[in-house]
Formats: sequence, C-alpha cells, structure tokens
Amino acid sequence: MSKLYKIALAGEGGQGVQSVANILAEAANDGGKEAIYIPNFGVEQRGGVSIAYVQIDDKVIGSPKFKTADIVVALSDRSIERTKRYVGPNTVFIYDSSTLQAAEIDDRAIGIQGVEADPRSQRPTSLTDDEAEFTATLPTNAKAVIGIPANDIAKNELHPRVFNIMILGAVIKATGVLPIEKIKEAIELKLGSKFDAKPELRELNFKALERGMNLVDKVL
Amino acid sequence: MAQKPIQGEKKVFMTGNEVCAWAALAAKADIMYGYPITPQNEIMHYWTRLAPKFDRKFLQTEDEISAGFTTLGGTLAGKKSFSATAGPGNTLFQEPMSMAEMMRIPAVVVIMQRGGPSTATVIYSQQEVTMTTFGGNGEGWRVVYSTASHQELYDYTIKSFNTAWKYRFPTFVLGDGYQAKMRESLTMYDPEERGIELVKPEATLGQPGMPGVDREVQYPRNTYNTEEELYQRNMEIARDFEAAAPEIVEHEQFNCEDADVVIVAHGVVTRAAQAAVDQLRKDGLKVGHFRPITLRPFPVEEMREAVKNAKKILVVESAYGQFTKQVKEYLYGMTTELDTLLKPGVGITSDEIIKHIKG
Repeated sequence: MSKLYKIALAGEGGQGVQSVANILAEAANDGGKEAIYIPNFGVEQRGGVSIAYVQIDDKVIGSPKFKTADIVVALSDRSIERTKRYVGPNTVFIYDSSTLQAAEIDDRAIGIQGVEADPRSQRPTSLTDDEAEFTATLPTNAKAVIGIPANDIAKNELHPRVFNIMILGAVIKATGVLPIEKIKEAIELKLGSKFDAKPELRELNFKALERGMNLVDKVL
Repeated sequence: MAQKPIQGEKKVFMTGNEVCAWAALAAKADIMYGYPITPQNEIMHYWTRLAPKFDRKFLQTEDEISAGFTTLGGTLAGKKSFSATAGPGNTLFQEPMSMAEMMRIPAVVVIMQRGGPSTATVIYSQQEVTMTTFGGNGEGWRVVYSTASHQELYDYTIKSFNTAWKYRFPTFVLGDGYQAKMRESLTMYDPEERGIELVKPEATLGQPGMPGVDREVQYPRNTYNTEEELYQRNMEIARDFEAAAPEIVEHEQFNCEDADVVIVAHGVVTRAAQAAVDQLRKDGLKVGHFRPITLRPFPVEEMREAVKNAKKILVVESAYGQFTKQVKEYLYGMTTELDTLLKPGVGITSDEIIKHIKG
C-alpha cells in the first residue's frame, strides 16, 4: 500500500522554504518516487508569506492541491496563521519556537537569506511575554504540535545560512518519507559546486541536516 | 543547422513553464515574442536561455498587445511564432488574436491562468476559460487545449503548432498557475522520432516573384466595407471551423457507461475528478467523469453521449460558472439534473468532490 505524503512548508519570503521543498521533491523524484512541488507566494517581490506544497507517493499523484497536510512546518508567526487551515487530526505541526515576529526583509540585503537580514537577530532575547501570546495562536486540532528553536540553534550553533537545511532535516525525520542518503545526494546535486569551492560548507550543511533530525526525534 | 534539442526519450523533473519552452523547441518554433507576467514568466526565461543554443530567436515587446501582433507578424513572415501570457495579459492578447481569426494567421499562445478579475492573484484559477475560448470581438474562431499535467503540456504544446498551422486558426494551450510553477515528472521526446510530422510554416507576405504574375496575390484583410462582405467572410470562417472541428476535438472519459453521476471538469481539476471517481467506485457509488480536452471546439456529441444515462451531472471548476455555461449550452435540450461545485481562484481536491457527491 503506497502512502501519499502531503507536506506544507511556510515561512517569510527569503527563509528558504522553497529551497527545502525543491530539494525534497527532487530527492523523491531521483529516488524513483512520484513528486509534486508547488510554490505559492503573494504578489510581492519579496517579503510576504511564502508557502511550498510538496506531495510524494509511490504512484502517480492526482490533484496537485490538498486540504489537509501530514506535516506542516511554519517558520514565522504569520505563516502559522496562514497554514493552520492545512492542519487536521493526523497532522504533525512543527513551528519555530524561536520565531516570534514576522521577519522583515531588509531591502539592502537582497540575495542574502531572510534570516540573516532579520532584525530579530540583533534583538535581545526576552521571550516570555511574547511566548504566551504566540502559543495561543497555535493550532489545537493537530496530532502533535512541535516547537523547535530552529532559528536560535542555526544562529548560535551553526550558521544562519543553514537554517533551512536544518528544517529539511526535521521534515525528513518527522515523515520518514525518504532516506537521508537521498536527501544528501539531492543537496550535493544542488550545492555541489559551492561545496567544491568551500568544503567546510558541505560539513556545515550535513551537520545542520542531522541537527534538524535530532530536534524532532527528541520531541516525538 | 543546430542539433536537435531532444534526442531519444528523456525522463525529466521540471516546472510546467520549463516544459513549454522545451516543447516549443521540440516543435521547431522559430521565435517567441513575449511580455512578462506571472505565472508564465519562466517560459520566456527558459526560452531565452535555450533559443540561442538552437538558432532560435526571442523578442521582448513593450506590452501584450504588441506581443500578440508581433507573433502574427512573425507568422506572416514565414516563421513558427509563439507567445505565452496570463490574466490581464490574456485580456490584451484578445485584440491581436481576433485579427488572427479574421486573417487566418496561425499562432500558438500558452495561457497559464491566474486568479481574476484584474490583477487578483499570481497563483491559480480556471477563470480564463471564457476569454480564451471566446475572447475578442467575434465568434471565437480558435482552438483551445485544456491540459492537466506536465506530460500534456509537452504533448499539446507540440500538437498546437501543427493544429495552428494546419487549420490556420490561433491555437491556445490552456494551463494554469499550478502547472506553470509546479515541478513534476514527464517524458520529453523528439516528435519526429515518434512519427509526428511537423507542419512547415510558409511566408504569407514577402514571397519572391511578382504578385498576380509569378504567384497568387496575398491579401490578408481584416476590414470590410459592407455588411454582406463581412457576412460572407464570417460564413467562410465558420464553414472552415466546423469542417475542422471533428478532426480537432478531443476528450477523455472515465466510467461513464453505467454512471448515475457524471462529473464534468477540465484542466487540472480533471485530476481531482479522476481520483474522486476511483475512490467513489471503491465505495460502491456509480460515478463517472467526462473531460473535454479541447474547450474550443468542444466535444459536444461525445459529452452528450457520456451523460445520456446519468441521473445527475456535476460540473466542477475553479471559476464561478464560466465552464458551466459552456456545458449547459452544449447539453441544450437534455433535462438531466445539473449540479455545480464552483470555487473561483482556488484549487479543488478529490476529497471536496467526494464530499459534495456523498452530500
């Protein structure tokens, strides 16, 4: 019996959710599965909530649109609001617990990932007040709601640039849809030339991938 | 002569926009004229990257009216020309495409439907059905293929060039924002290796020799002084269109023979409808699905045949009745109950269709 995986990833434009979805779909396709990936964003050039829909199955996939996801990943508070509608009783909802405010994309930072341009990275972390307000907006009908401090970990332990790769690790672990080797091959395919120029990037990315996997493992 | 863009059969995983650019290459299109509008931008982007490698050309125009007219100019000069647009761009394309209908100028235009009216969303809808099938100030003498997958985008983009140049009607490949931006797998091939003969373009204007002496006078004309002249012209076009229609119409049907309910849907929505039929049949419900592939000309007889034993027809579309209007017209005289599931500007899932039918 083939299982259809329906995944929705959402974040602020620039956080890299589309790259994550792309790597995921390509890894699935390369692994001989059927995959569909649809990016979705507003009319803005940048900023705004960016959502990626991915479906993976062993057989040909019907409708590109789905109503309820198996896994929802929301990386900003606005994207939590935007993706709640895809949550049902069998949905695993993962959100970034270190993300409290919508990231503002700095015009001067074009081409740099949103996380680095995010003014929050310069902000002192005093989370308690915001946390209460934030928690109240989380979906209540999910199978599991998992908060991971992805942004903080990326910033403090790794590098803000690999934030999205860490998220990819979390998705892989939460769904078990693909073996990690396939994902590593897809990352290699996408970033291989950059890795060749700077070998430490390969190590950093793969470390981020595994860190992301560990995060979900602990919570589940 | 540059080498063939595609040799052998090739399984690929790409966006629909990329697929269309490759298909135009494979169909031996000479030139694309275009103006950017989401969600079809990347057809241009990919074409501009691919074209120089295979001796093809590209011209960006100042707007869509111009893109439409230059596309026709390219055809008159003997080139296989095409364009792509969406939404408000499609609106502007209607004037040149009306001229193409009147002057019988072949052209291929890929439409990636976005939400409407006006700017609306850059994402998805099936709200360009009326405009693509009957746009312009005339009778809608054009061919429209409504595709459902990347494989079909590839197949029908290639086919469109043959249809347009063979019958000399503007021909549209109707996709949508999902298809444009989505990545999925398909098999690319060289049409000639599969035995598909590609119709060769010929110059209408500027041919060598003295008109009237060495060759026939070419006089493409879109203005007429009297009612009677125009009537005659329209009736000529109508006669040609109706003669070509049975050769052009295409459809698919699924389990219609014994169906109590027949779902009628087109484009991407057919995927949800097909999945719904599979599920509902498993649940023991007699449900079928009819899908026109050509929305213009419409497979009228085929649809009437498919629904003739049904107790109920359910039209499903991501628009507020544009497709339903056509279906109703072509079912004229039948008294079967007709129900609708209309969701303008949003995607429709098989679950929604199942829920609607189960009530």
